[in-house]
Amino acid sequence: MQEQDLYNAEEGSAEDQRGVWGGSADGEPDRELRVPGKAERHGRQSRTKIAEEKRLKEKKRVTPPPSTFQRFSVDTNESLHFEPYIPSDEDEPRSPSFRGATVFSDEVFEEEGETEEGPPTEDAGGSRVDLKEGLGGHSERDPPDVFCMDCKVPTQASQKLFGPHKDHRVIQISRAADEVKEDLQKGMHKLEEQIGLMENFASHLEEIFITVEENFGRQEQNLEQHYNDVLQALSQRNEQGAAQLQDDKKLKLEALYTQLLECGKTLDVSKELIEEAQQIYRDEDKTAFLQAVTPALRRIEELSQDESEIKLSSSMDFENTPVDFSDVKQMMDSVNILPAPSAPVINPQVPNSASSTSARVCWSLFSNDTVDFYDLHYHPVLDDATFTGLQAPDALEIRVKETYCTVRELLPNAQYEFWVTATNTTGVSPASEKAVYMTVPSPPIIKPRECASCPEAALIRWESGNANPVDSYTMELSEIGAEGGANAVTESIVAVPTCECLVQLQPGRHYSICVRAVNIGGPSERSEPIIIQTTGTSFHLLEDTAHPCLSISSDGLTMFYTDEDLPLSGMVFSDNTFARCVAVLGELIPVRGKHYWEVEVEDRTEFRIGVAYEDTQRNGFLGGNSTSWCMRHVITPSRHKYEFLHNGWTPEIRITVHPKRVGVLLDYDAGKLSFFNAHLAQHLYTFQCRFLHHVHPCFALDNPGALALHNSIAAPAYTMFN
Amino acid sequence: MALTQVSSNKCCGGFQKVFEHDSTELKCRMKFAIYLPPKAESEKCPVLYWLSGLTCTEQNFITKAGSQQAASEHGLIIVAPDTSPRGCNIEGEEESWDFGTGAGFYVNATEDPWKQNYRMYSYVTEELPRLISAHFPADPEKMSISGHSMGGHGALICALSNPGKYKTYDATTLVGSYSGPQLDILIDQGRDDQFLSAGQLLPDNLIAACTEKKIPVVFRLQQGYDHSYFFVFSFINDHIKHHAKYLNA
Repeated sequence: MQEQDLYNAEEGSAEDQRGVWGGSADGEPDRELRVPGKAERHGRQSRTKIAEEKRLKEKKRVTPPPSTFQRFSVDTNESLHFEPYIPSDEDEPRSPSFRGATVFSDEVFEEEGETEEGPPTEDAGGSRVDLKEGLGGHSERDPPDVFCMDCKVPTQASQKLFGPHKDHRVIQISRAADEVKEDLQKGMHKLEEQIGLMENFASHLEEIFITVEENFGRQEQNLEQHYNDVLQALSQRNEQGAAQLQDDKKLKLEALYTQLLECGKTLDVSKELIEEAQQIYRDEDKTAFLQAVTPALRRIEELSQDESEIKLSSSMDFENTPVDFSDVKQMMDSVNILPAPSAPVINPQVPNSASSTSARVCWSLFSNDTVDFYDLHYHPVLDDATFTGLQAPDALEIRVKETYCTVRELLPNAQYEFWVTATNTTGVSPASEKAVYMTVPSPPIIKPRECASCPEAALIRWESGNANPVDSYTMELSEIGAEGGANAVTESIVAVPTCECLVQLQPGRHYSICVRAVNIGGPSERSEPIIIQTTGTSFHLLEDTAHPCLSISSDGLTMFYTDEDLPLSGMVFSDNTFARCVAVLGELIPVRGKHYWEVEVEDRTEFRIGVAYEDTQRNGFLGGNSTSWCMRHVITPSRHKYEFLHNGWTPEIRITVHPKRVGVLLDYDAGKLSFFNAHLAQHLYTFQCRFLHHVHPCFALDNPGALALHNSIAAPAYTMFN
Repeated sequence: MALTQVSSNKCCGGFQKVFEHDSTELKCRMKFAIYLPPKAESEKCPVLYWLSGLTCTEQNFITKAGSQQAASEHGLIIVAPDTSPRGCNIEGEEESWDFGTGAGFYVNATEDPWKQNYRMYSYVTEELPRLISAHFPADPEKMSISGHSMGGHGALICALSNPGKYKTYDATTLVGSYSGPQLDILIDQGRDDQFLSAGQLLPDNLIAACTEKKIPVVFRLQQGYDHSYFFVFSFINDHIKHHAKYLNA
């Protein structure tokens, strides 16, 4: 009961002590007291409580019924009196004289009977008596008004001047109280921190218990395994030895048995000979005897001379061959050694973790092995065709400590095989399974000359950008705002199987469109974008349909029929080129609705301008068949002549002002093809026709000259009236 | 001038009406037909003046040409005056079908006894437009003129003589001396028109003159069509659209 020691520290002022430390612990929301599940706390509290109760009994003054939770005298105005701290082995360090609740507010001290728990204090009336005496033990009869910080005792001001505190730092009691309160607070803080740490630690302990169990389990398993191995080896040895002995015995016995048989044979022969000799010996007839005896004698002599060794052909004893236990010894020695790791598990490729020149390879341990480092091996996967008969290409290696590695300097759109080994002090693990990772492709390249657009759609074409096939393409659109900045991607079209895509757009806007190539490793970087304006219709000429005499400018928008007379042999025709009419097709986006374009012509140009089906006869003349419609300009000696040809037929039309710029409006839905003098906004003629398929703009020159195509022009208002 | 409504028929969502009034130019009572499209109920509309051919009155066009549909669609008022002063009792006015009554030729006569009354040019270009603007929801800035046969001729001379007055015009040989804002002339000619084959119509001359003067003309020779209102009916839509293009711009 340590508190008791403190409380009883000085004689004669027990009741004074009571005044300050009265009752059991209490005050503010009992932070410390309420720490859950901590037995010490309760223990301490009860110790405090017991101490207090003891005090109560000692108390001489009248006290109100004691509360069990009150720690400080709440109605006292006087400063706290702190006893000098007597260290004990069981107590917590620091916090001089701190017991019980943390109190942070002076109000607690100044309240008169107004704690949360409400019970009144022991000190009725808040007397200011309470002069404590330090261990130094001066008894003062006058109330102290100052406090000596050096001696930590209250004293009288008068004492300061003359008494033992003459040279000490002496301050007003209230100030002293404040200072000491600060110390108290600091002490309490520190204690709280400690408490926090302890709590953390305690909660971790539970986890640690589990870990210990696991580790134990693992070790046990290891041990068992090792010893099993050892036992197995030993029993193997045993069996081997026994078998060997068995064999040896068999051999010996056989040899001996053979010997026995031979002896037997020899015996028989010898016995026979003796009998024979005896018979000969008994023969009365001396002559016959002499005849027969010679060979018998000879044979007897031979036999006697045959000194067969009467020796054992094999020894009775068995040799003691030393058993080779070296490997068992080794196993015993390695029982305590860390096992080499087992093969790691290589992960399959995570989508979007590769770039066109790198791949992020990840793996994991099969079990909780200790590993010092990993070796990642890889080589490119080649086609089987290049493989046959050759060794696998050399594998590259990277050593890493983590379970992942970003491998760089790879080729785009290529497959690589990866496998990994783990190494620790004992050795190297077997290799993991092989996993194939793929780098993303290089970005595609958009072909602007093959793209087309109209107010509601765009057709984009590109090159793959990769030698090997990719899985698909993704097209990304973003609208370019009025101020010119591109907004974030607003639309993505995925799983485009071929190198072209038709996408719906809003009219009158600017778009930035780019394409990515996608394979199992993820999408490539974006291609260079193409800017599409959904104003008017835009298309290019299909150069491979052009008659050889027609040459096309580099921007694909102007065509020339030159004067030069190319010899027929010098011309290159194909199935797709016009052969008679010096014509070319344009590639209009295959979208219905209205399309408008303009063609600039010269005064003397004899031209044909109109539309035709894609498969219009290449050896026909535009307008001369049912698959094409055109406006034709012919120059006669007297005047300009204009025809609007389809199927070889034209209405009779006279036009007084030669159009220098012809506007063509194709309206699929209304089934109309209209021609205008764009400079005059004058309507020239309209074909009424039902187009069965998509048509393409067509152009021809009937005499040397040029036509210039103008695209991306919104159909003017006057074209609506026809 | 007071207008008296002679008839009114609802047609294509609007009204085909005929009015009568005392003409100051022609010094007699004149009738004219006016088609008011549905749009005229709420807004001012452009006006297309239609001049009819020989022997016609204000009735022929409105009953035979089928112009009301297109006029309603494009929101145009079509005014079709009579072709000459009536009831003036001038000697000789009934003698031939192509001179006198029903044959005003849209010119102002310069000789007696005709010059008092036969002032169709002034009637069409001055009195009638004033009348229409005063009494009907007509946009005075947007006028155009067209016609058939003698009326075609009339339209041309009115337009060519009044550069800038009419937004679109039809052909005339006055082309040669025309200098004014750009014209855009549409002419349809029936191929089987007896007047054409008789040589009374000389479109080639007109075309040549327009080509010379660079006046934009599209002249269409319509296979199988004659001079009648069936022909007018067949192409009136194209013509009204042609006018609407400028009147509604």
